[in-house]
Amino acid sequence: MRCADLQPDCLLYALGTLEEPESTEMRTHLESGCANCAARMKEARALAYSMGAALDGPAPPRRLRARVLAAAGADTQRHLSWYAGWAAACAAALIGAVLIFYQNRRFQGDMALVRAEIERRSSEAAALREALHLIQAPETREVTFGHSETTPPRGRIFVNPAGVLIVATHLPAPPQGRAYEMWVIHGGRPQPAGLFQSDPQGNAIHLYRPSSPVAQSDVIAVTLESEAGSSTPTSTPVIAAPL
Amino acid sequence: MLPLILAVLAQADGDLLPRLQRRDAQALAELYDRYGGMVYRLILRIVRDSGIAEDLVQETFLRVWNRAGGFDSERGALGPWLLAVARNRAIDYLRTQGRRTETVMGLNETEHPALFADFAAQALDLHLAQQVRRALEALGTQQRELIELAYFEGLSQSEIAKRLGQPLGTVKTWMRRALQQMREGLGWKGAVSA
Repeated sequence: MRCADLQPDCLLYALGTLEEPESTEMRTHLESGCANCAARMKEARALAYSMGAALDGPAPPRRLRARVLAAAGADTQRHLSWYAGWAAACAAALIGAVLIFYQNRRFQGDMALVRAEIERRSSEAAALREALHLIQAPETREVTFGHSETTPPRGRIFVNPAGVLIVATHLPAPPQGRAYEMWVIHGGRPQPAGLFQSDPQGNAIHLYRPSSPVAQSDVIAVTLESEAGSSTPTSTPVIAAPL
Repeated sequence: MLPLILAVLAQADGDLLPRLQRRDAQALAELYDRYGGMVYRLILRIVRDSGIAEDLVQETFLRVWNRAGGFDSERGALGPWLLAVARNRAIDYLRTQGRRTETVMGLNETEHPALFADFAAQALDLHLAQQVRRALEALGTQQRELIELAYFEGLSQSEIAKRLGQPLGTVKTWMRRALQQMREGLGWKGAVSA
C-alpha cells in the first residue's frame, strides 16, 4: 500500500482505533522501516498527546495526590504520618483505656454503693417483716415506756419467746464511739440483747432475735455503751420497761 | 521564557525516569505534581465522573510506577506515555461499563513504552497543545465530533458510523478531511511520499 493511502490514518492508528485490515497494513508498513511514515506517525502521536494535554477542566482534589502515592507505597510523608497516626492512635487508645479504667472503677464504686444500699434496704425490709411478724404474733406482749415520764424517750416494746422488739422515739443520737445496748433482765441478771443506733430524728427500732427462746424476763432496759458492746451494763439505763 | 521552561521540564523528566526506575518515592511525587492535573482532566473528560476519575488516575500512576523499567531512560518521554496510559484506562473503563458494544485494536498497543522514545522535546511543547486546541476549535461541529469520538471514546470508524447513523465510507471521508484540516491548522504540510 502506498504511503499516501496510509498516512491519513496515522492518528487513528496512534489512538488505537484503526480497524482491520488497515491496522495490520499500517503496522506492517511501519515495521518495514518507512522513515516518511514513521515521521508522520511520530507527528500523530504528538498530536494525540497534545489533544489530551490541552484540556481545560477542574484541578484534581488535593487528597488524590496522597492517595496515589500511598497506593504506590511511595509516600514518605504518608509513612511519617502513618507513624504519627499510629502513635496518636496508641496514645488515644491508652487515654481511652485509662478513662475506661477510671470510669469502670467509678462505675464499680457506684455499683458497690448501690449494692450496699440495696443490701441495707433489704436488711431493713427483712427486719421490718420480722418486726411485723413478731408484733402480729398472738403470744406477743406489748408494753409502753416513757409515757409517764416527764422526759423522753418514749416507745413500745414487744416481747415473745422468739424475740424482743423495741420502737423508741426521742432517743438522742449516741455520742461518737457509743451505741445503745438492749438488755433482757430476769432475776436481776442482765443478758445482752444487741446494739443499735437512733437516727438523727431520734427514732430507733431494734429487733433482738436470740438463738434460743427468750426466757422469762422481768425488765427490758437500754443503756449507753461502747460501740463494741458490753457484757454487762456500765451506765444508767436510758430506758427501763418492766414487763 | 516558554522554551526555557520547556527545556527545564524536559531535563527534569529525563531526571525523573532513572529515579522512577530506582523506585524513588520522591520521583513519583514529582511526576504527579507535573502531570497529575493533566491526567485527571483527561480522564474526567472521558468518564465524566469525578469519583471514577480519581480511581483511574490512581491506576494510571501505579501502572507507570510499576512499568517504568521498560523505558529507555535516555530517550523516553514520560508525559506522553502517562497520558496514553490515562486515556486507555479511561476508555477501558467505558468499555467495561457496557457503553461500548465492540472493541477495535487493543489500546494497550498504544501505550507501549517504546512508542514514546525520542519524543520528549516535541511532546513537552505545551505551546503545541495550545495550537492543537485552537485547531480543534477551528473545525466544524461535525468534524470536531468525529475527532472527539475517536479520541475521547476510543470509537473506531465503524462505531462512529453506527453512532452517527452514517455510511462507513462517509465517515472515513469526513475523518480524513478533519485530520487534514487539523494538520493544516497546525502548519503540518509535509509532503506525502509514495
